[in-house]
Amino acid sequence: MMEKVIRVLMSKPGADGHWRGAVTVASALRDAGMEVIFGGFQSIPEIVETAIQEDVDVIGISIHSMAHMAYAKELMELLEEKGAKDDFLVLFGGIIPDEDVPKLMELGVAGVYGPGTHTADIVRDIKEKLSEKRAE
Amino acid sequence: MDRLEEIEKEEREWAKLIEGCERKPEFKTYSGIPVKALYTPVDLKDHDYLEKVGFPGKPPYVRGVYPTMYRGKVWTTRMFSGFGTPEETNERWKLLYKEGQTGFSAAVDSLTQACMSPFDPRVGPEVGTDGVPLYCKPAVAAMVEGLPIDKIGVALVVEDAAATITASMYFNVYMERGFDLKTCMGTTQNDLLSMSIGCLQYRSLDPAHRLKLACDLIEWCTADKNVPKWNPINFTTYNYREGGIDAIQELAFGFANAIEHINHLLERGRKIEEFVGRLAFHLSAHNDFFEEIAKYRAARRIWYKLMKDRYGVTDPRLLIFRFHIQTAGSTLTRQQPMVNIVRIAYQALAAALGGVQSMHTNSYDEALCLPSEEAVLLALRTQQVLKEETNITNVIDPLGGSYYVEWLTDEIEERVWQYLGKIEEAGGLIKTLETGWLYKEMTTAFNKRRRMIESGEEKVIGVNCYVTDEEIPIRVFRTNPNAQEIEKKRIEKLMAERDNRKVEELLDKLRKVCEREENVMPTVMELTREGAINQEICDVYREVWGEWKANIVF
Repeated sequence: MMEKVIRVLMSKPGADGHWRGAVTVASALRDAGMEVIFGGFQSIPEIVETAIQEDVDVIGISIHSMAHMAYAKELMELLEEKGAKDDFLVLFGGIIPDEDVPKLMELGVAGVYGPGTHTADIVRDIKEKLSEKRAE
Repeated sequence: MDRLEEIEKEEREWAKLIEGCERKPEFKTYSGIPVKALYTPVDLKDHDYLEKVGFPGKPPYVRGVYPTMYRGKVWTTRMFSGFGTPEETNERWKLLYKEGQTGFSAAVDSLTQACMSPFDPRVGPEVGTDGVPLYCKPAVAAMVEGLPIDKIGVALVVEDAAATITASMYFNVYMERGFDLKTCMGTTQNDLLSMSIGCLQYRSLDPAHRLKLACDLIEWCTADKNVPKWNPINFTTYNYREGGIDAIQELAFGFANAIEHINHLLERGRKIEEFVGRLAFHLSAHNDFFEEIAKYRAARRIWYKLMKDRYGVTDPRLLIFRFHIQTAGSTLTRQQPMVNIVRIAYQALAAALGGVQSMHTNSYDEALCLPSEEAVLLALRTQQVLKEETNITNVIDPLGGSYYVEWLTDEIEERVWQYLGKIEEAGGLIKTLETGWLYKEMTTAFNKRRRMIESGEEKVIGVNCYVTDEEIPIRVFRTNPNAQEIEKKRIEKLMAERDNRKVEELLDKLRKVCEREENVMPTVMELTREGAINQEICDVYREVWGEWKANIVF
């Protein structure tokens, strides 16, 4: 049986315009054979709607404004409300202090990637975490 | 045999000594320019000193834009700073001023840049988290309260739509403090390309209208002589470079951008002499030490030729390329952050040796958070060490005459002209933004740099070499968690106190001005004076001209 192609939505909530990280990771994931939808600037409700409509496996959120906790909380609550919290692997990237990583994980974020992360590590994480999720 | 031939012969002999003994088959600069092991007078054999280099303050200005350079006035130390609330930013500015800063520069938050209000749930959590929130005139007043703004210039780092609005707020504050706008010094970044390829602009206007707004501000300040000492635009090639492009592209994008603005103003019937003297640049100071120095030297020669040959400018005061630099934030690492202190110092040294007019040195903690007070002071001291202790300010353009630096200056100039030709062939800057050509160039650069770092071809200490397991934790600087509430209250108070009917009338007037494509500045000055907030004004722009989404190809 053919392995299902992994679908990813890459978005930036808020008005922070630092786009290089999001595009760089998006290109790397595409190079690794995934299908990437580049959402660009999207509000949290728009991100959730796109993720459900496009039936993606992964929601990638890029933030450089230090507002990651507020947006993560809003995102996870809205996913919960839609009964879709377990449908997606939610990953965060950007300028995120180490001490905030456990707090994000507690909210249900599956991975956090800062500057200097090797994109191969992100690809490997996505594959591993998705297969764990599918095995559940 | 003449002396040059003798040197050439000696060089061939010497080259045999190094054949096969080098660490790698090819050595290149950051921008991919192949470099030889050694440069000699042979490499400059057709180099005419007076034509190609000359004297400081004299064409082609390669050695510097002023005759005295740092022997007259050392570069301005202008730290880019802003966070939390205008009051907290004011406190930081006062500290930096007390500690020897000689210029101010406002880093605004994403909402200010996007002209959105703290009441909008889409962006509310970002109030003050990545810059100072400047949504209304009272906020601008609070930021500069008690500072000698009549003597020290303030740079407002805001682009096109936000630039017209924030600058108007600042100009009103300046007059309300009792000063004459004719004496007002400072800069608006006002660079549409910064928020097109350096960063993306949320709820952006289309490139042609952003060009129109940028030129409105230039025209109103300079050609109309309302704020004659203000630098109404600062082509910030720094931001494009942060996207991962090389030194050649950095300069070429900057010049292509300047050309678009100049042409637009000429089409309005303005004369180049009315505004060109106040166009400024903000370049990056990146890692490749000599390439950066050669880049600054080449930039001065290219600008001189562009002004003289393409636009027929003759007044020598209008031929000079003045620039600010920022050390390259994208070279800083989250891993082993203290190493950033060393990177910043070398980058600043390159800029100083390249003849910079004004400098911002980054803080070592910037890959982790907004700069802490301690980190900012160290960045300030880094410049002060260069100014006061190293004696590099004694001699003008001390690397001029180096066979390598002169050769590289010429080489960079040549490559920039070629790349500029490529942009113009693709239709010029605005066209290439609309078609997505520029985005393709940027994303190609992102991916190239990612592959180079991930393959180890480009070394980054702490990331792909000399990696340590143990990281020294640094204290993360956090902005005021109540900033959103504070700014909401500020706006509520303003709206309760202002004449709402007057504001409505002025917004209607602005709508007509926009429909007729007239200069928005006189009306925006009135609006901000009467207490209109940034989003109210920008919503008129958006309503009349529509919103635009970048055509991102990756």
